[in-house]
Amino acid sequence: MKKYKLIYHLPVFLLAIYTLSGCETVIDAKLDTGPSQLSVDAILTDQAGQQTIRLTQTAAYFNSNTPPAALSATVTVSDDAGKTYAFTDSDNDGYYTWKPTGNDTLGHIGRTYQLNITYQNETYRATSKMNRVPSVDSITFVKTKLNPFSTTEGYRAEFYARDLPGAVDYYRIRYFRNNELQNRARDITVAQDGAFQGSADTDGLMFIRPIRRSINPDSLYALNDVVKVEVHSLTLEAFTFWQELQTQVTNGGLFATPPTNVPTNIINTKSGGRNGVGFFMTSAVRSRTAQVIPTNLRPDL
Amino acid sequence: MKTNLRIRLLYLLVTVAIGISANGQTTQNTIGQPNGPERRNAAQFTVSGYIKDASNGEGLIGVSVYVKETGTGTVTNNYGFYAVTAPAGNYTLIISYVGFQKETRSVSLTDRNLRLDVELQEEGKQLQEVVVSTKAEDDNVKNIEMSVNQIDVKTLKRIPALLGEVDVVRSIQLLPGVSTVGEGATGFNVRGGSIDQNLVLLDEAPVYNSSHLFGFFSVFNPDAVKDVKLIKGGIPSNYGGRVSSILDVRLKEGNAKKPELNGGIGLIFSRLSYERPVFKGKGSFIVAARRSYADILAQPFLNSDLRGSKFYFYDLTAKGNYRINDKNTVFLSGYLGRDVFGADFGFNWGNATVSARWNHVFSDRLFLNTTAYYSNYDYSLNSDLKGKNPNDFFRTDSRIVDYSLKPDFSLFLGKNTITFGGQSIVHDFQPGTATAASAGAVRSFGLSSKYALENALYVGNEQQVTPKLQLQYGLRYSLFSYIGPGEAYFFQTDVPTGQRRTVLTTVDYRGRETIKTYGNWEPRFSAKYELPRNSSLKLSYNRLAQYIHLISNTTASTPLDVWTPSTNNIRPQIADQIAGGYFKNFGKSGNEFEASVEVYYKWLQNQIDYIDGANLILNKYLEGDLLSGRGRAYGAEFFLKRTTGVVNGWVSYTLAKTERQVDGINNGDWYATRFDKRHTLTSVLMFDPPSAKRWNFAATFTLASGTPGTFPTNRFEFQDITAPIFSGRNNYRIPAYHRLDLAATLQGRKRTGKKKDDNWVFSVYNVYGRKNPFSVYFQPNKDNPRVTEAIKYSVFATVIPSVTYNFKF
Repeated sequence: MKKYKLIYHLPVFLLAIYTLSGCETVIDAKLDTGPSQLSVDAILTDQAGQQTIRLTQTAAYFNSNTPPAALSATVTVSDDAGKTYAFTDSDNDGYYTWKPTGNDTLGHIGRTYQLNITYQNETYRATSKMNRVPSVDSITFVKTKLNPFSTTEGYRAEFYARDLPGAVDYYRIRYFRNNELQNRARDITVAQDGAFQGSADTDGLMFIRPIRRSINPDSLYALNDVVKVEVHSLTLEAFTFWQELQTQVTNGGLFATPPTNVPTNIINTKSGGRNGVGFFMTSAVRSRTAQVIPTNLRPDL
Repeated sequence: MKTNLRIRLLYLLVTVAIGISANGQTTQNTIGQPNGPERRNAAQFTVSGYIKDASNGEGLIGVSVYVKETGTGTVTNNYGFYAVTAPAGNYTLIISYVGFQKETRSVSLTDRNLRLDVELQEEGKQLQEVVVSTKAEDDNVKNIEMSVNQIDVKTLKRIPALLGEVDVVRSIQLLPGVSTVGEGATGFNVRGGSIDQNLVLLDEAPVYNSSHLFGFFSVFNPDAVKDVKLIKGGIPSNYGGRVSSILDVRLKEGNAKKPELNGGIGLIFSRLSYERPVFKGKGSFIVAARRSYADILAQPFLNSDLRGSKFYFYDLTAKGNYRINDKNTVFLSGYLGRDVFGADFGFNWGNATVSARWNHVFSDRLFLNTTAYYSNYDYSLNSDLKGKNPNDFFRTDSRIVDYSLKPDFSLFLGKNTITFGGQSIVHDFQPGTATAASAGAVRSFGLSSKYALENALYVGNEQQVTPKLQLQYGLRYSLFSYIGPGEAYFFQTDVPTGQRRTVLTTVDYRGRETIKTYGNWEPRFSAKYELPRNSSLKLSYNRLAQYIHLISNTTASTPLDVWTPSTNNIRPQIADQIAGGYFKNFGKSGNEFEASVEVYYKWLQNQIDYIDGANLILNKYLEGDLLSGRGRAYGAEFFLKRTTGVVNGWVSYTLAKTERQVDGINNGDWYATRFDKRHTLTSVLMFDPPSAKRWNFAATFTLASGTPGTFPTNRFEFQDITAPIFSGRNNYRIPAYHRLDLAATLQGRKRTGKKKDDNWVFSVYNVYGRKNPFSVYFQPNKDNPRVTEAIKYSVFATVIPSVTYNFKF
């Protein structure tokens, strides 16, 4: 939906020029609070080294404290090759980790993983397959204005990656500016075959341009900035989760959709038991790093 | 078998049409006259003709024609035609219409039927400014119609308008029973119905998207509009195809007496229209155009990147008529409008309609109108408008096209007026095609077109049972076929409610092969019983079926929303409504005030809803993401209007509730719809001070309960992004809405001998600048994402003054 939101904003903005209207005001709202639930934040990758799963409890909507950690849970991940990995929370902060002994890596493309959590006498289960992922071929920069209304210039980054042909693939794009993850709601970028869902059949094509350029902060980059781009493989379910997560945290204006809960795959094994929230996803990750230096610059066409 | 039924229905329709045109008299016998005594009386004669406006020759709709001696009467139809029947004798006809001088004619019906065309003179200036047009003065009480509101263009032009632009759709939102999801949203909601449940007709052709600029303005050019009628209940059998209301907009025919040039310059649009008689007064036409011009004014100020940006909307409305002879008149009307936005990224949408009509008077008692129309709505979107990036672009478009033929007969039989006819529509849906290019590789992708046939036959009678009791009853049979060529999808049925159903099998159908057929009997009934002291009781029941649906899951509908037919997976929407009302006129001359109280209850079946995360764009398997539910709406509407005087206008209050129940949403429990408002108070007041001859004033005030919103209860974090958790749908209310608008009109000085007539309209929208909420939504703070906020969004959050200059030559 991202591209459509963009085009709605343009004319509404234009009308606003005439009417000096259309405005957002922060107001007080009294909300009820529902019962607390287990919240799972788990992304396992095929990268070497430690893997982390964060367990917390849901909190009242306006409670801006760090969410309360879900402690003393038993957390294991098993794969379809018969291996089981135990995740432990040695420092009691809700971050459950698995550390490799020697050179072994947890995640392998093509395997299916099952997460088991026992917490406060309830057992939760989630499964996820680790799908394939393409490599990032290159990152280039162009010197340009921040937007058509601005006179300030910056460097706009564009990365090139090609969708893997032969099946529908789902990806998530993440980027870092000088080692700092850019993580606002609007930085969430997911792609189906390297394009937006519902655009066209782009199987096997280069990622489309809006996706290629999704790795820019508002201010664009400065000379000598270091930019890192990661492409994560997703399952369809994880893709939908990210898409809905973005919709729900940016859902406003004339064309909002009815607010709904972001989907979850954290299922309570007891029938009728309350499910968790959050998601268990397994992603293969490929990345590339580039610096804004003259050899990486391209002319602005 | 089902195809056969369709063919038989069409055959029947054609036979009826041909049979009647071959011999009107035979058909009258075939159709039958319910009133035996009248038929036996051989010396019955009819007087019939057209009633027109003397100033411009426009046919007048709904003029009362009353026979003094018999105490019976009729009203003119949509083309200004009337017919009354009486035994041989001499009679006095009294022809009256609000805003026009009453005409009295003596007629002698002794040996033959009479043709009598009458032109009515407008009354003086004071009464020209009359409020809502209600035909005859006592029409509120005497007419069998209920749940009907009519606004004449003079009133429309005086209501304070947003940015000074007189607007039909925004104005009808001031009527009882009409609501909207919020200011600036496309369309309107009638008695708990969604926006796609209104049949919006422009000279009988449906308009699929009635908005300009995402809903801030509507497509109807007030300079070309003659009459606006909203039917919310007691819908007669000649209308069908939507379940909640009919908005029947009729265009002017064009001045048949003298050339006339009208125009206006406003802040957003400028308007120009020209009308004149042609063919020595046997015909006339009107052409009216509007265009927004903000882009032209802004052009010099744009930098090179934005130069060439397009943001405008225009519409062209035209109509012509030609009177071949006393018995035949033809009309041709058309509308073409478009909204265009874009710099590099371009987006445009618009409607085109053409309707051709033939009025034929077979005999003094049988009137035929045949309408053929074409209606098209399409949009297209292009990421590379200037063609600068041939290697990377995205283009998509979508359209719906209708072709229809609609014969409609009226048979005037004294105490009975029988209407019958039919309609055939061919629907052609093109849900979307897309072309995408990435790094030089181009791919096309499209959803195949869907086709459907919608047919209906109807018959209805308006019967004066006793002088006090009048009935209107009818039956419509509608038959819808979803036909090939196309693919039909069959989905799994065993998924938990509220989740996506995946496709199991796809079946290919050849051209004209029937995929799925639905048929519905739609009974209609209204009754009026006159009570003493100028009052009446009215009752109505109607069932309506709707076979095409707007797929829209956003608060305000967007121009990208796509229409879809009923299919093997989507069942037609059905609505049943009962309504009752008490109507009374009182005050000076008995009709100074019109008052009414109406109550209604409406049941809706097969309402479309969407699974969480539904994918509605270019999705071949869209039907697997749809849910089906039911709705109910009930309420009471109070209406008080003063028709004359220095201060006139109306006040309306609506108490209403509208809910839905869908398995898979809100745990399957009933929930309030997004446009549910418990209380709505609107008032429209006009002030014509006798001391200030050139000035008059108008004010509107609206007060409404807040619409429902879905508010979160809890939150969780995922990758340091805070997400909301909801416990139900539409479980809170946003704050109440209120707004005052004012307008003042200054008439230009009249110069003797000059035809020029001009005025200035000054208006202020949202006088006290209230930040009325459109919605309240919940988001993380942009700078500190861990802090979550409730945000009130207002569309027009400030005072909006405007000035418009109108002229007429």
